[in-house]
Amino acid sequence: MSMHTTLRRTAATLPSSTSSILPSSQIITAQSKSTSFVCSQCRHATLLRRPKRPYTFTQLVTLSDGSSFTHRTSSPTPVYRSTRDTRNSLLWNPTSSKLMNVEDDEAGRLAAFRARFGRSFDANAPAAEEDATAKKEKEEEIKAQQAAEQQEEDNLLDLISSFGQQEAPPPEKKKKW
Amino acid sequence: MAAREPSRYLARGLPRTFVPSARSQAFLNRRNVSDEAPARRLSDQLEDLETASSLTTSVSESAASSFDPIARSKTRKTQLPRGRYQFRSPKYDRGPLHPHQPPAPSDPSSRLFVPGPFALPRAEQTYNSTVASDILTLCYVHTPPGFKPPPKAPRLREWDDSSPYHKNRPLRGPRGGDVLRLLRKPIKFNNIPKIERITLHSYVKEAAQDNSGWLHVAGIAVQAISNVRVETFKSKASVANWSLVPGRDTVAVKAELQGENMYHFLGKLIDVVLPRLKDWPGVKGSSGDSSGNITFGLEPEQMALFPEIEVNYDMYPPKMIPGCHITLHTTAKADKDARLLLSAMGIPFYGKIVQ
Repeated sequence: MSMHTTLRRTAATLPSSTSSILPSSQIITAQSKSTSFVCSQCRHATLLRRPKRPYTFTQLVTLSDGSSFTHRTSSPTPVYRSTRDTRNSLLWNPTSSKLMNVEDDEAGRLAAFRARFGRSFDANAPAAEEDATAKKEKEEEIKAQQAAEQQEEDNLLDLISSFGQQEAPPPEKKKKW
Repeated sequence: MAAREPSRYLARGLPRTFVPSARSQAFLNRRNVSDEAPARRLSDQLEDLETASSLTTSVSESAASSFDPIARSKTRKTQLPRGRYQFRSPKYDRGPLHPHQPPAPSDPSSRLFVPGPFALPRAEQTYNSTVASDILTLCYVHTPPGFKPPPKAPRLREWDDSSPYHKNRPLRGPRGGDVLRLLRKPIKFNNIPKIERITLHSYVKEAAQDNSGWLHVAGIAVQAISNVRVETFKSKASVANWSLVPGRDTVAVKAELQGENMYHFLGKLIDVVLPRLKDWPGVKGSSGDSSGNITFGLEPEQMALFPEIEVNYDMYPPKMIPGCHITLHTTAKADKDARLLLSAMGIPFYGKIVQ
């Protein structure tokens, strides 16, 4: 009896293999796998429900810096432009000074207000100005240092060129290091 | 006119030169291939982009007049086989002993066949091109040749034979608890952790108290953001305050994302949604089930920031928009590796990082 059923089963699988893309050997192995499943006394037929898939559109997502990518989504808008994303959020760009600066004082109104009514804690210049002044100071320092080095070199050259010609060389400049 | 609108956006958005940002990778070790590319090619991706909403499409006159399927079939020399001569999968599975067996689900003629994948999502490309090799490099542990790791104690302990009753007992569990943790093998090229599936889960307690509308709205909202049909679940717990009875009230909605849907959702979540959350510090560093699955939650007002919900926000009753829990299942065996993977994909973590 069991012999008979296996024969009939293989006969049943044959037309499926002709209509499918897969090679017949794969299907037969799949069949043998499914027959090895041990059913514990369920005699009812189970409905094979077709899987439901929502319709999806291809959408172009344009990030705030102009980079873009496509993805499948259920929203029908063809192009999505984002204003706030990983390219301009502080959490993803923790060292970006542009994003840290929350205060936008283009017209200088806030600065003017502070100059007039500011108390001890906000009478100072805002952080950006402080940064600018600090940068200027640094540049000046570097320039001064370079000038000093240049001068020192000149002095040494003078020393070589004027060796033996002058009785009293000019007093040597104090070295920085 | 409607078709011209997006093309204007495209023309504006595309030729922009990409400025490589000098971001430091201290907090988030996230890296994109596009960060280093001098000019990116979008032309091949744009071919399958629909230029306008499909709701406003109109068929051209010539296409409509030339469409005549009957005349076309008459010009054929040999007719196509009729539908009833083609193989149709049986509607019911009648058990393993029935002679008429349904084909395997991977067979296109099967009723359970799901076509796809249709696209290579950006998040998946990022994983394959940069994240996987980065993780492999970061997890490399050098062992000199001839090195033998010290032998470890067995995970399940044996009973000391102090009592005659110890004979034939099953082995004891590990010290300090009954839980047998997953075995973490050294990460090699063939077991680089990757994201396996994402579960969106939403528990709507009002569905038991009020009406089923809450559950319908939650299901549609979760389906809209995930592209996957949801499953519903009945309550298992009994809570008197919420008038919950186990087995009676349907209270929860779940969507399981795998493969292409998962990567589309992940990319959208990281690039568009998470940066828009107000005062969001990141995912808590102690989250995770200690076997490589990380969970975090979104509030209802944060769920409304998904572009799919935002685009027709009026469709949802504003009170009824649900929150949800997002579980990222990874193939990592420890939370440490899972966090490494997810932070490389772009999910920030905050607080004390529990390993």
